Amino acid sequence: MDVDTGNMTQTNLVDKVVVPGDVVLDLTKMENQTIKLGSGLHQDCDYISVMQAGKLRLSKPNKYWVESSQKRYVPRLEDTVLGIVVEHRSDNFLVDIKAPNLAFLPVLAFEGGTRRNIPKFETGTLIYARVVKANGIMNPELSCTDASGKAAEFGQLKNGYMFETSTGLARMLLSSPTCPVLEALGKKISFETAVGLNGRVWVNASSPDDVILVSNAIMRSEFLSGTQQRIMAEKLLERLQKS
Amino acid sequence: MHVRREVIHIHLPRRSTSKCDMVGMVIERDSVGEEGDDVVTPGEFLGEATEFIAGKGAYVSPNGRSVRACLTGRRKVTAAPPGSHDNRSTIEIVGHKAHGAVPQPGSIVIARVTKVMARNASADIMCVDSKAVKEKFSGIIRQQDVRATEIDKVDMYQSFRPGDIVRALVLSLGDARAYYLSTAKNELGVVSAQSISGGTMVPISWTEMQCPLTGQIEQRKVAKVD
Repeated sequence: MDVDTGNMTQTNLVDKVVVPGDVVLDLTKMENQTIKLGSGLHQDCDYISVMQAGKLRLSKPNKYWVESSQKRYVPRLEDTVLGIVVEHRSDNFLVDIKAPNLAFLPVLAFEGGTRRNIPKFETGTLIYARVVKANGIMNPELSCTDASGKAAEFGQLKNGYMFETSTGLARMLLSSPTCPVLEALGKKISFETAVGLNGRVWVNASSPDDVILVSNAIMRSEFLSGTQQRIMAEKLLERLQKS
Repeated sequence: MHVRREVIHIHLPRRSTSKCDMVGMVIERDSVGEEGDDVVTPGEFLGEATEFIAGKGAYVSPNGRSVRACLTGRRKVTAAPPGSHDNRSTIEIVGHKAHGAVPQPGSIVIARVTKVMARNASADIMCVDSKAVKEKFSGIIRQQDVRATEIDKVDMYQSFRPGDIVRALVLSLGDARAYYLSTAKNELGVVSAQSISGGTMVPISWTEMQCPLTGQIEQRKVAKVD
């Protein structure tokens, strides 16, 4: 029997950092099992190997994936992203979503959108949208409606402040239960945020001081644990005498 | 063997305040008036228009009297078919290597898909009617020409991928950029494709191909090959 790490029926690399080339599972040793592979893993004939550096995660009983964090975004179906309008063509807007290609946002992909009420987005408008078509070959396609056709918070984001982060931080901000830094800030300040899985975050609050405070707190929280995030947020709030 | 003497008049106006004087130049050329092993070049005199018909690679000169070459090659004379009212031989130029195959409307081509977009796919034409092309031709397969049924529900991503080899029919010369191709027949479509894992896929049905390495099934518009 192989005693090599990663060649057993149950891999012991779960929750460890893996790099491309690591073999996670050996399919010849596993009979009659269904395994679901998420992002970052690839089947190489009889082996499952890692394609992206990150932490290997397992969701029992059989879902494996690699959690990684980059500054660049690879579009995936049903992701919610923040895009910046670059150009207005006759039948769609060209939107930059930090992906290898520009994304298309059809002019009719809004609630109640017809040819008569096409929204007038200028270059530089910030849009909160959902990815509806993403394969590696064609330009991704966005939509400002949810699956049932309602607007559901999608559309233009006015005022506020947008900054860029890594994709890992964006996912942490969207995790449930609520991310500790957002919870700690929310107790003392009222603000609203929109987080794009492509590594963009938009913050809006009643005064510029609050906007800056919230943005700085979020940017600093990427590598802190839950408790550290709460302490950091409270220190910032004290400094501005909000408590 | 008869020798032709050619007289070309070139009219140059002489600089004088009075009327223009003509200065003529005489150029003498020997040209062999039968099939030879010598190579003819464009513009070279081949024969009199009264004795020969201009075939492929030859043309009648503007003054209507001589047949000249317009390609580089060897000349070939074909006698007139018996029973035709015009008993002039046909002169044509053969052995020229300039022409590879050129796609014509109605010809079957083999092309490699280069780009897949929402409403069409671009392809590089490689062979025309089983003859390889010598220069690059671009073709476009539009969404409505992918298949014959339900043409408005065609998903280009499920029909072609970049790198696929397709057999297509040339619909028309298209626009300045590309020929218009069609795969809307049973025997047209993807002939050979590679899967994501790199293996050459095996067709299963007219919409699916399977990778032999991983067993994954991918969607394509597959050609029915006998």
